[in-house]
Order: sequence, then structure tokens, then C-alpha cells
Amino acid sequence: MSRISQKTAHVAETDLALYVSNDLPAWRRVRVGLHFSRCRWCRQMAEIYRDDRLRFRETASQMPPGVNWNKLSAEITANIRVGLAAGECVAPRKRKAALGWRPAAAMAGLAALLICAWVLNMPSSTTQELGRAFTAIWSGSSLNGVRGINPARDNHGLVVELSSSGIELRENGSTVLGVSRDQSKLVDVSASVEGSASARYVDDNTGQMTITSVYAQ
Amino acid sequence: MRNSVIIAVLVCVAPWLAAQGLSRKVNLPADSPVTLVSVDWGGTDATARGGAFFLDVHASMALRNSSQRRVRAITFAVLSQEVTPGGKGSVSVPSLDVAPGDVFPVGIDLRLLRPIAGGAGVEVKLDGVLFDDLSFYGPDNLQSRRTMTVWELEARRDRQYFKKLMETAGTKALQQAMLENLSRQADRPLAGMQMVRGRATNIEPERDLSFAFLEIPDAPVLAMNGTARVAGSEAHAPSVEVRNRSERPIRYLEIGWIVKDQQGREFLAASMPADVSLAPGKTGQVGQDAALRFPEHTSIQGMSGFISTVGFADGSYWIPSRAALGDSRLRRVISPSPEEQRLTQIYQKKGLSGLIEELKKF
Repeated sequence: MSRISQKTAHVAETDLALYVSNDLPAWRRVRVGLHFSRCRWCRQMAEIYRDDRLRFRETASQMPPGVNWNKLSAEITANIRVGLAAGECVAPRKRKAALGWRPAAAMAGLAALLICAWVLNMPSSTTQELGRAFTAIWSGSSLNGVRGINPARDNHGLVVELSSSGIELRENGSTVLGVSRDQSKLVDVSASVEGSASARYVDDNTGQMTITSVYAQ
Repeated sequence: MRNSVIIAVLVCVAPWLAAQGLSRKVNLPADSPVTLVSVDWGGTDATARGGAFFLDVHASMALRNSSQRRVRAITFAVLSQEVTPGGKGSVSVPSLDVAPGDVFPVGIDLRLLRPIAGGAGVEVKLDGVLFDDLSFYGPDNLQSRRTMTVWELEARRDRQYFKKLMETAGTKALQQAMLENLSRQADRPLAGMQMVRGRATNIEPERDLSFAFLEIPDAPVLAMNGTARVAGSEAHAPSVEVRNRSERPIRYLEIGWIVKDQQGREFLAASMPADVSLAPGKTGQVGQDAALRFPEHTSIQGMSGFISTVGFADGSYWIPSRAALGDSRLRRVISPSPEEQRLTQIYQKKGLSGLIEELKKF
């Protein structure tokens, strides 16, 4: 906002007062100085303020006995500061300016990186378990699921799992050892309480029996 | 900004780069009775997942019997890292009849786990070879000698049974036996189950449930009584009292654990192996610190057991005879031997003539 009145094309009186007391910022001081070169009215107003300032100083030097102006001035300044601080305390907190687009873009990039890292590095079973857990939390139901056996009951540590599709060694709900055979037919699975499980496969082409075992120990 | 992008890319591709250095080896001792003719690692691959590699091992080996005896069975340990859970598996091929100098295939299809810090690698090690005279070669780290010997004894028993059936009752009887086998294997209940070592957590009230034992007349061990702690669909801490009723000391025995659900269905849940030291006439206790867990809708209503294998101190083994397996209750739940399953598959695939040809081989 221009400090020179648009209506009268004169410098505002507050700026004139600051100009006279050398308190105006440098660039505005230059601007007001240039205005003085072509505005007699403002020059005269500045002179009036300058005279008032001199008279005030003379009057201040003639303060009543016992009054120390410097001390009084310091007390007034201190009181003003205390007042401002108190106002800060009771005033509603100002919201910080909204973040710009750069932090938002950085956060989006970080999120994309984390998602990529998860997809590339985490087992799909873990993702599925997480999905089931979120679904259960969302729906408020319990975590029933893995082949009808409650994984929340005790899936910590190593678990040997048998089903009609084969054998697996699982830890914390995730498969850590599995058996996969493409060309062969699963004919049987069995477990030993010593901590192992076996799956029997017969090769369709050769008729050869292969027994694959996993060990929890 | 540029540095951040480079670091992010490196973080993403580092596991992939490490996986490219997948080491694969087949480790046979210098004096091994089998030699490696060729190995095709085919689709063997390592995938980085979290802090570990998942190693998909798909290998096809061709091995030559370089000994002077016929090979009946072979077991390989497949290791990504022995001490890591999920880092060890095994592949066994029973029911072989490989003459000296002959080449035979062994396929491996396993998914193993290995910590990423150790790099990606898989090692296939010979654990044991069983010959036709029941002699054994190998480090036997996986107790493969015992397992393969029992498979071989079962194979001999079943082959002899089917050969005798064919000779005495004809091919029609053999065909009928195979059809019954197929029907029995299809009907055999196969329950989904989890097995954990140690005590499983369960908030349901527990009770002791007693075993009812199936008597096998010629079994050298008598299972007298036994219990397990049962809570809902979970059973743990089985304990069985056994007596050696043979005249030879016993070092090993295996008990089949049958579970009955609320609908009266029985299924073989697990085997309970135990190393024992039972002198003739002496009794002992067999127990395991393990838990079996069935689907939640299952309620364990009863348990029974039977002696399935006995190992004597002289290294010989006892297995149930075909006559003992004729018991209808036992036949319904017990697993056929690997050889019986293989012969049934041959019948299914190649017909009666293919089966007869196979039985005539050895």
C-alpha cells in the first residue's frame, strides 16, 4: 500500500513524522525525499513536525524536579512489552501458513517409494495377512481364516501345516518353506510329531515316487 | 535431490542385484556310490523378500550308480542355510531299482528361505543311499537310513503280496485289488492340520483323553495305555506306556496317532517316533512335546494308536504284515506304503499290463 495519499498526492502524516525522526525505512525515506523536491506543502509539514520535535525536547529538558525522563521512559517501554506478552497469551493461536506443494509432493514421493519397497520385498502372504487384519479391524470381526485354523490362536514360531494341497512350514503366519511340483501328482501327506512333514508325489511321466520333507527344527 | 533418487534406486535394486549372484551346487562325497552325470537348475531362482531370500529350487539331476550294488533309495538334503528355520528340506526317491552303471533321475522342487545377509545360495547334499542288501552309505544327518529301510521293507512286503496275488488268483484279482486301492486312497480322510513343537496356546479348558490302541498280534511292542491333553480342536503332549514283548532289545519305535472327530470320522493325524532303550519284557514311556491343531470346527472326540514300526538294537526293523493291515479300521486310516501308491499310480496310468510288467522287474 502506498504511503503517499492517492487522494491528495501528499505524503501521509505518519510517514512525515517518521521521516523527521529518521525512523522511516531507507527506500521509503528516499521516496519521501523525492516527493519533497516537488511538494512544497509536504516540505512545510515536515518543517512543522521538526519544530514540534525541537519544542518537545526543550520541554522535556525542563521536566519537574525529581522526575528522571530516561527512567520513566524505560518503565513505560517495559510495561508496553509486558502488555504485548500478555496479549499473546490470551489471543487465539494463529495457524501457521499452509504448507506449499513441495512438501506434499515430497510426502507423495516417499509414500510411493515405501509402497514399491513393500511390493518388491515383502511376501505376498504377509500382504494378504495385513489385508485380512485391516479387513477384520474394519468389520470388527475376529481373525479367522487360514484353512479354518485360527491364526491368531498361536501362529508364533514354526508351524508345520498339512493340507490336501501339500505341506508348508510357516512362521508368524507366513510360509517360509514350501513344496511345489508342477509335473507331479500329490498322493499323500504325513506329519511326525518330531517336527517334520512329508509329501509324496508321483511323476506322471516316469511313475517315479518322490518324497519331499520339511523340518521345523 | 539427485542424491536421494540414487539412494532410493539403490535400496530398491540392491536385493535384486544380490539375487543375481545365486550360487548353486550339488555336493557329493569323493567316495560317493553315485556320481553326478548332469544337473539342470532350470527355474531355480532367488527372490528377495524383506530380510530374506526365497529360493525356488527347481533342479533335475541325472545320477549314475557307480557302485557294484543295486540302489533302492536315495535321499538328498537341500539346504539354503542349515541353522535357519525353513532353510532345510529333503528329497527322497524310494522304490528304485538302479543297476550298477545305470543312470537315474532325481527331481527337486522346493522353496527355501535364507537370510539376505548370507547371500543367495543353495546346496544339495547327499544324505544317504540304500542298497538292495539293505546296506547304507551316507552321513545320515536326516535319519534317512531308518526311513529308507522301512520304505524298502514295506515295498518288498507289498510287491510280494501283489505278485503272490497275481500268481495264485490271477490278473483279475490283481486288477480288483488295484481298484480297491484306488477307492480306498480316494476315500481316505486327509484332515487339514497344523503341528507345532512345544506347548501351543489355547484358552479353552483342557482334559486328558485316553488312547484306545489297535492290537496288532505280531507286533513286538505292546502299547498299554496313553493319554494326551485335549482342548477343543487341539491335542498336545501325547504320552504312551509301552512294553517290549519280544526277545530282542528295542532302540526305536513309531506309533501311529489316529484322531476321531465329532462326526465319528477317523484319520491318521501324525506319527509319533521315539528313540527308546527297551530290554525284552521291560516297559517304558514314550512322549512328545508337540501339539496337533485341527480346523476350528473340529472337535476331538477320541484318539487311538497303533505300533507302526519297531527298530531293534541289531539294526533290523519290524513293520506290520499285510495280514495285520487287513484290519478294516486300520486299512481305512493308514497310509499305503510309497511302493503301493506308486504301483497304484502305474496301474492308473498304464493299465493292468503296465502294472504286471512293473511287478516282473524285480
